[in-house]
Amino acid sequence: MRYGRRGPRPPFPYDMEEDMAKTGAMNSKKKDVNKIAYLFVLPFVIVFLVFSVYPVLRTFYLSFTNYKGYGDAVWAGLDNYIRVFKDKFFWKDLWNTVKIWGVNIILQLGLAFLLTVIFSDIKYKIRGLAVFRAVYYLPNLIAATSVAFLFKTLLDWKYGSFNQLLLMLGITQEQVNWLGSTSTAPYVISVIGAWMWFGNSFIILMAGVQGIPKDYFEAAAIDGAGRWTVFAKITMPLLRPIMLYVFVTSLIGGLQLFDLPFLMNGVAPGTAGEPAGTLQTVVMYLYKFGFETHQVGYASAIAYTLFFIILIVSVIQFKTLGKEED
Amino acid sequence: MLAGAMVLGMTACGGTDNAGQGSTSGGDGAAAESGTEAGDTKAADTQAAGGDKLVIWTLAKDLEQFADHYKEQNPNVTVETVVIEPANYVTKVQTALNGGQKEPDIIVGEPQMLEDFYDAGYFEDLNQAPYNAQDYADQIVDYVWDVGQDAEGIQRAISYQITPAGIYYRRDIAKEVFGTDDPEEVGKLFADYPTILETANTLKGAGYRIFASDAEINYFSGDSAWVIDGVLNVDQGRKDYQDLCVALYQDDLTAYANQWSTPWYQAMAGEVPILSADIQNYADDSVDVWNAESFAEATAGMDKTEVFAFGLPSWGVLTMRDNVQGTSGKWGVCAGPAYGFGGGTFIGISSQSERKELAWDFLKFCTLNEETANWWIEASQGDTVSLIPVLEAHADDANEIYGGQKLYKFWLEQAQGIDYSKVTRYDKFIGDEWGRATTAIKTGEKNKEDAWNEFYDQVESTYPEITVNR
Repeated sequence: MRYGRRGPRPPFPYDMEEDMAKTGAMNSKKKDVNKIAYLFVLPFVIVFLVFSVYPVLRTFYLSFTNYKGYGDAVWAGLDNYIRVFKDKFFWKDLWNTVKIWGVNIILQLGLAFLLTVIFSDIKYKIRGLAVFRAVYYLPNLIAATSVAFLFKTLLDWKYGSFNQLLLMLGITQEQVNWLGSTSTAPYVISVIGAWMWFGNSFIILMAGVQGIPKDYFEAAAIDGAGRWTVFAKITMPLLRPIMLYVFVTSLIGGLQLFDLPFLMNGVAPGTAGEPAGTLQTVVMYLYKFGFETHQVGYASAIAYTLFFIILIVSVIQFKTLGKEED
Repeated sequence: MLAGAMVLGMTACGGTDNAGQGSTSGGDGAAAESGTEAGDTKAADTQAAGGDKLVIWTLAKDLEQFADHYKEQNPNVTVETVVIEPANYVTKVQTALNGGQKEPDIIVGEPQMLEDFYDAGYFEDLNQAPYNAQDYADQIVDYVWDVGQDAEGIQRAISYQITPAGIYYRRDIAKEVFGTDDPEEVGKLFADYPTILETANTLKGAGYRIFASDAEINYFSGDSAWVIDGVLNVDQGRKDYQDLCVALYQDDLTAYANQWSTPWYQAMAGEVPILSADIQNYADDSVDVWNAESFAEATAGMDKTEVFAFGLPSWGVLTMRDNVQGTSGKWGVCAGPAYGFGGGTFIGISSQSERKELAWDFLKFCTLNEETANWWIEASQGDTVSLIPVLEAHADDANEIYGGQKLYKFWLEQAQGIDYSKVTRYDKFIGDEWGRATTAIKTGEKNKEDAWNEFYDQVESTYPEITVNR
């Protein structure tokens, strides 16, 4: 319908439904509009079904078979899961992963928290938050391959800049073999991970702080509350849901760690997980069965065991952190 | 879910089971090839039955040359050769064929991959008409023919080359230290592991090193199967081999070069610096052994030596040819402590190909055609073909790099000693883990007991179907 100069102007705001009801066309038109909306979401739904739902369901099915990547998938019941539970290398690699993630999350959240406190402090009034946010987030945007290469070069035993710097400053007397020693290699990965992802945690925590009504802080200031009291009594409790979110997402990502340790030490054949298997994570173990020894059924069972472990730990986190909030 | 997504690549296309029973599709005008003698196959007779394009997936670049040669003789056929990194090759083939793809038409495999490929039904049954591969059995060296068969004895793939292993040694050093350069006599110096250790010590005393690396005997270490009737078999030979590696390393009997590194190649041409154990296992990376440019400078002040021998399969002839430089003519080849072989490219037809006639024509052209075999000997400058009539025809060829030695005759003899029944699908993994245990022992990272236990644990957890008796 075109409203010309001569025609009557519709009431403003224009109520299409009323207009349609008047003409009796509402029901059929509304249905058409709904159908078109479905068409718009269809591409996503198709991609989601094909690339997320189907693999997840099929992996679950395959975890009960002895599928090798070819031929028939013969039903094996719970055999693969029983094997996972008895497999000492699975548990060893899970422990490796937890160690790397544990140190990583402490550093990552600690740093993000410290920055959040500094940037949200009313007294400091730091300007250029957007710039800092972008700079801190940048490592997240660099491909893991580049990060691995960068740190491999920096941490090179003999010629790496990091060791040269330590020697120059007299902090160490000889080069430290960061990636070759079992006592340092896992924690190097933790630190690199923290460097990559603290910006992400910082942005989320900062958004959480900004979501806290200013009234609370003003009221606290009027009541004479100190900086620490404000942090402990207002910021921390109100940030708890956000912290829970950061913690759980970090756990999900952390226990699936693959790219960094694989690229740092495992690219050459037979070197995966070196030194002495300390960098072998659960997903690297899964990779070995899925892609190297072609035991897809067992790899699927490892994937689902990891999924259930993450699920259980997440639920525990929700129960403990969530409860305190109440 | 990253973990789930990782398995996606393996599973999403799964479920298609083509058990290799596919009948040969072919055009109406396809020439029946049954009963054709190997030497009679003329590429010019090619009937482009299922189309005039052929797609080859390979991990060996050799096939590019074969494809070019084939195109020269069949200008109407388009051949697309895709060379895939060995590390990605198996996964790529699996993904394509599990997904039901009609291309590639030709796939290849190395011995350790073949059993899985056979089970998966990727390779066409070559015993059926019109191929009737069994008619060519006596044309190809036995062990190569056997490697190309599945568990039921059905021919699935054929290789154009044989890869028996031998000890390549310096004749001049042999004469100086042992008073003879005769391959028979020098072979006695490598008769078994204790003798090799003795030989190594004698050479060290004379200022030489027996090998550049401590991995030179690897090709001869498989004198027994790793798995027999589902039970892990670590026989005395394996343990002796490990002891030898440890002694070579700990007693400074090698030049501490890693196989395929700069000093390893350099040792073929003469003097090399004697590196240290730390450099070899990368604990000391002051010398980059993989960088030929910086290597000379980094090792300038080190003691030098000359290396006596290399243990390599017959394709080592080509490696030596490219690297011997001034020592050309001073080399000989003798037998090692056991029969062994390394690698080899086996060609088969994809069971899902729609151009099987053409693929078969190409396969025959590469493996069963005397003209091609002769051409390949020239083109590769000395690779060892698997076609017996051609090997026999070249039996008296003298190779000047090896002081006029008749190498084809030697390789044929070595190939005849190979027992392929000792090869299992577990060899790569178990061999790698045994190597890892050996490294841990020789570098002092673990004692023998711990290293062996770790080895047994790894085998047990990776292949629960194998019984491990400790």
